[in-house]
Amino acid sequence: MFLTFALITLCAALGMLLQKNVIVAGLCLVATFFGLAGLFLLLANPVAAAFQLIVYSGAIMVLVLFVIMMLNSHEEEPAQASRPVQRWLGVALAALLALGSIKLVSASAGVAALAKSGAAVPTAMTLQKVGTTLFAEHVLGFEVAGLLLLVAMIGAVALTKRNL
Amino acid sequence: MTGMEAILSGGLQGYLVVAFLLFTIGLATVLLRRTLLMQFMGVELMLNAANVALLAFARFRGGDPQGTVFYLFIIAVAACEAAVGLALVIGLFRHRSTTDSDRAASLKQ
Repeated sequence: MFLTFALITLCAALGMLLQKNVIVAGLCLVATFFGLAGLFLLLANPVAAAFQLIVYSGAIMVLVLFVIMMLNSHEEEPAQASRPVQRWLGVALAALLALGSIKLVSASAGVAALAKSGAAVPTAMTLQKVGTTLFAEHVLGFEVAGLLLLVAMIGAVALTKRNL
Repeated sequence: MTGMEAILSGGLQGYLVVAFLLFTIGLATVLLRRTLLMQFMGVELMLNAANVALLAFARFRGGDPQGTVFYLFIIAVAACEAAVGLALVIGLFRHRSTTDSDRAASLKQ
């Protein structure tokens, strides 16, 4: 099951990177989010999986696809100047990061110890546990997050409106 | 090789590798694509990679609810970033009629 969801996630993300059409890339990103929701379910965390589906594949991707269609920019515009050196440097950097991180994770003794000590599947996360922790220990963070969302909403309206 | 087995069988290492690879693909999207909307999607991918690592560590520490709480905070920040980022893309399109980040190279009109 883990391999299935991991492959869905990574293949869809790779499809997004290579896709020419921006709308198809957005739909690939939705598939990535579905794969991630599956991974969260395997992590015994149905709460996070539900939030992933509702907020990411629901709200945020609808916003992105809406903007793509509004701007009518389905295809990437032709490049002004081809920058082969920078592009290959980017590819090399990404490949180096990927290989280095895989090597680091598989060789790390601390990660292996944590994986061994926590191997037993814990009881599934419930909304009650999350809510209790959120409101008992992180009330200030919760309020600040609400304020941040309000500020972002006002900022978005102010940026897109032609003359206030 | 025991390291590879731990990754493929879905232990903590497997989730961390998925998170790292997702982050790399997101970074490559930001570096290689020129359309601002694609770069924005790459940023979303990198945020999600952080979420995978966070929730994986929370599960292997005995199902700690703190991980899910911080996942909620990351989602809130990502939603703010989506709203403001897309508003900026629309603003750029209004002024320059382009969504190509290479064509937005000067501060003057």
